[in-house]
Amino acid sequence: MNFRNKKLVYAAVAGLLLIVVFVLPAVLSRKGKGAVRGIVEPAERGTAGLGRRLSEAVSAIRGIGGAGEEKRDLSHELVRLQAELNKLREAEADNVRLRRAFKFQHQTPFSMIPCDVTSRNISGWWNSVRLGKGGAAGIEENHAVISPDGLVGKTTEVSTRFCEVLLICDPACRVSARIRGKEVFGLVRGAGTNLKGQPIARMDFIDKDAKILVGDEVITSGLSGEGGVFPKGVHIGYIVQTEKDRSGLYQNAQVAPSATVSLLDYVFVISDAPEEELP
Amino acid sequence: MMARILLFGGIFVGALVQLFLPPLPVFGGIKPPVLAAFALYYALHRSPRGMWIAVFWAALLHDGLDLGGFGPALVGFPLIGILAHRVRLEIFVDGLVTQMMVGALGAMLAMFVAILLYTITGQRPFHFGYALLRMVGSGLLGLVVLPLVSWTMKKLESAIPKRRGYGWQ
Repeated sequence: MNFRNKKLVYAAVAGLLLIVVFVLPAVLSRKGKGAVRGIVEPAERGTAGLGRRLSEAVSAIRGIGGAGEEKRDLSHELVRLQAELNKLREAEADNVRLRRAFKFQHQTPFSMIPCDVTSRNISGWWNSVRLGKGGAAGIEENHAVISPDGLVGKTTEVSTRFCEVLLICDPACRVSARIRGKEVFGLVRGAGTNLKGQPIARMDFIDKDAKILVGDEVITSGLSGEGGVFPKGVHIGYIVQTEKDRSGLYQNAQVAPSATVSLLDYVFVISDAPEEELP
Repeated sequence: MMARILLFGGIFVGALVQLFLPPLPVFGGIKPPVLAAFALYYALHRSPRGMWIAVFWAALLHDGLDLGGFGPALVGFPLIGILAHRVRLEIFVDGLVTQMMVGALGAMLAMFVAILLYTITGQRPFHFGYALLRMVGSGLLGLVVLPLVSWTMKKLESAIPKRRGYGWQ
């Protein structure tokens, strides 16, 4: 290849890359990613399964054999009970409001899809995990993902057999929230992780006159839109610090999300679809 | 043929390794740049054609498995590939110190491109301190990862039977 041709090839490649990066429509980009993930998925699933079996084998050797399956069943039960408790708490609060206002509010029932976490994000740029179930199991985008500890995040980039979960500590994850027991609303968004790897989130746009205290519990308000399913009353975390917004119109708070993301093996996606059995 | 299979297979396994390695919070949550190291290894040891195949396969896997749009690796890996390929005849490509330096610089450049693209496209918020931490972290990780990848690939390539005119021996 002579020098002139080489220059032309480099220019063509650079042009193509610029088109892919800046002009490629989201639909095409998603299809491309789906194809790549489809190629990697069997190996990824196999490696994740192998890792899980190894971890269970180590547990069995330590004398707590069968703990993995038992833990999974108990976690599922715990999440069900917590969801039930949240619904009852909300129902109680609703009842008080309804008695006062003589109105009835219908609360949408939801079901949960248990999913295995197959892998984490490849680059570390995004706080996300990949689940081993997707559109075929009834999962859609912007559905809440919970664990026994509380809200984990929301679904995004759903393919037929797998989906990505944007964790609550990712800056792109925004959830409408409120303080439990108070009529104080705000928007929780991720703030990454600290140097110890603990997730951080912030609650913004809180009424400047609202009285919020360190240790107050933050829960979902159920107002999150974007066409997703976000039940109200799901535990997010606790307030650890409060501050006035620079504009003086609002106050902000730092929230410590409770879901221990680094230890997640499986999670539950809130769905409208009928419930299914544990894998 | 076997070398080509090793190229595709090695980078595929490299992607799985990077996927399952834990992020390092002390370096801003980044992961060891295994795929960038593969791109650098093939840029240092192969013809332009082999280099382009390896670079694009690694970039495709990286961006395909990542959230957000295609871009950071599709731009960054060819860039570090071209630069490494240009200087490969002027450096000791199998020297440990050279590999450490090339690994560190390559990983830092790939990280710089990612920061630039994510900031321009608005996909990730930009914080100077965080960006600096990630740049330094990727440099330190690249320092270790490229020699490891090179050593592994050399061992695997030496295990492949060579064709010497009389068929497979």
